[in-house]
Amino acid sequence: MNSFPWLTTVVVLPIVGGSLILLFPHKGNKVIKWYTICICLMDLLLTAYVFCYHFELDDPLIQLTENYKWINFFDFYWRFGIDGLSLGPILLTGFITTLATLAAQPVTRESQLFYFLMLAMYSGQIGTFSSRDILLFFIMWEFELIPVYLLLSMWGGKKRLYSATKFILYTAGSSVFLLLGIMGMSLYSSTEPTLNFELLTNQSYPLALEIIFYMGFLIAFAVKSPIIPLHTWLPDTHGEAHYSTCMLLAGILLKMGAYGLVRINMELLSRAHSLFCPWLMLLGSIQIIYAASTSLGQRNLKKRIAYSSVSHMGFLILGIGSISDTGLNGAILQIISHGFIGAALFFLAGTSYDRLRLLYLDEMGGMAIPMPKIFTVFTLLSMASLALPGMSGFIAELIVLLGIITSQKYLLITKILITFVTAIGMILTPIYSLSILRQMFYGYKLFNTPNSYFFDSGPRELFISISILIPIISIGIYPDFIFSFSADKVEAILSNFL
Amino acid sequence: MEYTHQYSWIIPFIPLPVPMLIGMGLILFPTATKNLRRMWAFPSIFLLTIVMIFSVDLSTHQINNSSIYEYVWSWTINNDLSLEFGYFIDSLTSIMSILITTVGILVLIYSDNYMSHDQGYLRFFAYMTLFNISMLGLVTSSNFIQIYVFWELVGMSSYLLIGFWFTRPIAANACQKAFVTNRVGDFGLLLGILGLYWITGSLEFRDLFQIINNLIYKNEVNLFFVTLFALLLFCGAVAKSAQFPLHVWLPDAMEGPTPISALIHAATMVAAGIFLVARLLPLFIVLPAIMNGIAFIGIITVVLGATLAIAQKDIKKNLAYSTMSQLGYMMLALGMGSYRAALFHLITHAYSKALLFLGSGSIIHSMEAVVGYSPAKSQNMVLMGGLTKHVPITKTCFLVGTLSLCGLPPFACFWSKDEILNDSWLYSPIFAIIACSTAGLTAFYMFRIYLLVFEGYLNVHFLNFNGKKNSSFYSISLWGKKQVKQKLKNKKFLLAFLRMNNKEITSFFIRKIYSHRINKNVKNITRLFFDTPHFGNKKTATACLSPNESDNTMLFSMVVLVLFTLFVGGVGISFSQKEIDSDILSKLLIPFIDLLHKNSQHFVDWYEFLINATFSVVLTFFGIFFAYFFYKPVYSYLQNLNLLNLFEKSVLNKIIANNFINVLYNWSYNRGYIDVLYEISLIASVRKLVKLNYFFDKKIIDGIPNGIGITSFFLGEAIKYVGGGRISSYIFLYILYVLIFIVIWY
Repeated sequence: MNSFPWLTTVVVLPIVGGSLILLFPHKGNKVIKWYTICICLMDLLLTAYVFCYHFELDDPLIQLTENYKWINFFDFYWRFGIDGLSLGPILLTGFITTLATLAAQPVTRESQLFYFLMLAMYSGQIGTFSSRDILLFFIMWEFELIPVYLLLSMWGGKKRLYSATKFILYTAGSSVFLLLGIMGMSLYSSTEPTLNFELLTNQSYPLALEIIFYMGFLIAFAVKSPIIPLHTWLPDTHGEAHYSTCMLLAGILLKMGAYGLVRINMELLSRAHSLFCPWLMLLGSIQIIYAASTSLGQRNLKKRIAYSSVSHMGFLILGIGSISDTGLNGAILQIISHGFIGAALFFLAGTSYDRLRLLYLDEMGGMAIPMPKIFTVFTLLSMASLALPGMSGFIAELIVLLGIITSQKYLLITKILITFVTAIGMILTPIYSLSILRQMFYGYKLFNTPNSYFFDSGPRELFISISILIPIISIGIYPDFIFSFSADKVEAILSNFL
Repeated sequence: MEYTHQYSWIIPFIPLPVPMLIGMGLILFPTATKNLRRMWAFPSIFLLTIVMIFSVDLSTHQINNSSIYEYVWSWTINNDLSLEFGYFIDSLTSIMSILITTVGILVLIYSDNYMSHDQGYLRFFAYMTLFNISMLGLVTSSNFIQIYVFWELVGMSSYLLIGFWFTRPIAANACQKAFVTNRVGDFGLLLGILGLYWITGSLEFRDLFQIINNLIYKNEVNLFFVTLFALLLFCGAVAKSAQFPLHVWLPDAMEGPTPISALIHAATMVAAGIFLVARLLPLFIVLPAIMNGIAFIGIITVVLGATLAIAQKDIKKNLAYSTMSQLGYMMLALGMGSYRAALFHLITHAYSKALLFLGSGSIIHSMEAVVGYSPAKSQNMVLMGGLTKHVPITKTCFLVGTLSLCGLPPFACFWSKDEILNDSWLYSPIFAIIACSTAGLTAFYMFRIYLLVFEGYLNVHFLNFNGKKNSSFYSISLWGKKQVKQKLKNKKFLLAFLRMNNKEITSFFIRKIYSHRINKNVKNITRLFFDTPHFGNKKTATACLSPNESDNTMLFSMVVLVLFTLFVGGVGISFSQKEIDSDILSKLLIPFIDLLHKNSQHFVDWYEFLINATFSVVLTFFGIFFAYFFYKPVYSYLQNLNLLNLFEKSVLNKIIANNFINVLYNWSYNRGYIDVLYEISLIASVRKLVKLNYFFDKKIIDGIPNGIGITSFFLGEAIKYVGGGRISSYIFLYILYVLIFIVIWY
């Protein structure tokens, strides 16, 4: 269509810019920071520009496609392209990564490497969301793990090596299944491997084979999403990582799993999906309750927030499993919404950890007086997380629930049961998130330990929290903005199931 | 007039700039915003006044020709689903919005003074305005989603306000309790909404009612499901209006500042539940089971609230239980189908209760000067008494509120309560007997408050003399039990002592106390909350202070509310005998359903009315008499005791009576053991589940990968040990295997 390879530029810009960091003199810590933020911002603005002027929203087809032959003998292409489904996650990635680099400013230890890794991760994530070749998807998926591993193992808490190892084992182990699925799908029925998404969409398999493929992909994405019982890497990882890494993990990495579920499991393997989706629904609703109640038992603040993320991911699975237009739209909205809310919660938890140096909730208390601003923002975000109307979480969850109710596929009693169980999560969510608030901020405590000096959040932190709050509230008030991206694509996906 | 309706979507949005600007200002420019303080209070009052004028305009229009206006915009559109946003103006909306704005304005004016020394003055105004906004949004909403949105926002504002003094751990617990309890109701509301959407495919009120009516008429729908979903919807109202199973948050909500309690109890939070049921009455009315259920819950709440109110020590909690009881009356009326009576009672009760709460706030304010900031002391009725001297205007206002709530004729609540009682006779005699006797109980507990607070002498001195909070002391002045005589001597001595003490007030102590009050440093104030010993050494000194009357700003709103209490009854009384439904309220609510008067002639029978009224007034006087009997001021206690002895001649009777009183007292004082029950059953089981889950997650789900990791580690170590690179061991193994092979071979 257009000659300029916009998507390649967007994907490659961060990593190229990042590798230039290594050439910088070692002393210029400040220069590196601002340089990184500039790169992130440039990329975000570039993405926004491309989406504004070169992308048509009402077209459900793939746009901005690029095809470059990469490896000749097995037909491997450098193939990018986006549609309504990947639009939201890409913008979210740009937004969250930019804010995360801004949040990472206090990091001083080996900042060169740190910022390079952040930028590499940025590239990998955008690459995953925009690739149109299944092998390229896999490569990007794996490529993005390395920076996360390094970020975890070098800039984390006390148990960082344990959690980094756990993370890499879980994700790499799941990638085996992903690779198996990809190989199987591409090699089926022809001597030439087909790696193109478009061609794969139209391919049909025997049912047993399709189910096997589906299982493989499901395991891979279930680790990333996460879906119980494969979620235990997440609280450990989030508990140990630096908060800017946490923002990226909670904001974007988890969404990759959900994106993969929609992109591959729903789009390419629709027959198996309609077989599996009742189980997915069941799993989703159990996950909401299970993770919410486990969250209550956690003492560690970050782990508690991590479990709340797991619980919110349940809505995503429900939306994907509901196979209804409304439900899937709700799931996509939840991807975006939780991307903001989760990232912001981890950011705030991290900043308050920086001040208090306390990990456990029962040791905290009475922080509202020394830091009223953090208190205010934290309250707002807890409200967003417990789905207060007017914030994005509410509309996403409501639409998922409406999707379940209106779904044609299920029996009445299943629908009632699932909705009922999900709604119990609605009671549990305020219990844990308000308990966090109460234990951290309410009450009164004398801080007379000598090395505790408090200052309220400065302009940088305030800027970050407000810039996350703005999209949360504006999506909550005007959700059509996100729906306008995805509605047509969702319809196209669901037409496979009719 | 059309244009007024066209622009009435603006009603909830008019006051919105205030919380937004205050919030932004506090976050971005805290010091500058805080310096402006008062500048923010006036715009919020002014904007709310605009809303009030607007809604008065709307309701005059509604009186002239009651018609329904609805405007809808689409909010989100999908293929299958479109959510709408709009507004819906009918008589109910206009009544509610007048109620909210008038009470809101008066409470705002009042709290300008009440909160003037508080650090969070601005925050308070922002929250209050937010509360009003969400409530206004609720009453103007046109569909279920919008109702749910504002419903939750009301819950959130109440959370913020109850936890306003967040340094107090009790307040922190109370606000969480309020939110979670309300969330249980919201859970029902949401499920009900979803269920009805599933049945009808509509979220808009009028369509939905029509569809349901049609379906039931044609018998095309499973009645069980409709009833179930309607019941779930009712759950929401149960939680918000503090009806029986979910009422536990209401007394705890008293931890917030007093103006909030006035707002919550009069116009906003608890009225939301009544409003919802009133709004959905066309749906409920086709389901007789639900209507009976509503009436049943109502009557339980009436009795429970009244009995729990009998023995509370805290003045605000006492009022809270009385609110609960009155809300029960409203629910009862709604369940009986007398829509008009319920709304009438909502209005009259709102003004009376707002008056009572503002009065109690004024009392607390004046007591704080004496006993300090601790709510356990300044709200404790045992420490009050004889305030008539010190706060005469507050006393008058409070008395008017008390009389109104008791249901004495010229005051507002009489008319509405009488109507409900009359209707209950038509509905079911059993309910009517319970309701009537509870009306007597209402008079009893209200006058108990009045007598304890305003009659007798200031009891705070007793406490200070004794030096510790002795519980037996409460029971004596409240119930007159065993140790009466010896204590009485003590008291007499005390009184003499006190009079002596009163004369020697030293200005030094006054200054010291006030410096604490005005001190803006929160640390100091919070230290006052917790540091009792710090206060203890000054106790004798504080005793010398006397409570003062509040400032004019506070008195102003109270006096205005007195006027309301006196005259608001007029909206529901028909003055001319000939014309049917000539009163304003009936004009507003003409086209509405009336189950009970369907057959009977729609004519106001003065004679019948008089009989009923006399009956209820007699009951009320009975209650008041009993209250006097028990809570006669301390100085005449001895005669009272004689009277008691006259009544109870046999010892056996006395023991039984004492036992009965004790049981009742304990029941009431322990909140009917319902909180304890919840604590034992629900919270404990949730905790158990949490522990179990935590264990399961940590040991089993996380244990499996960890176990795999550890075993592979050991396996690796073992292999490493075996493959150590020693040639001799290789040769040894090689020969060993060869030997084994040979042995097997042969």
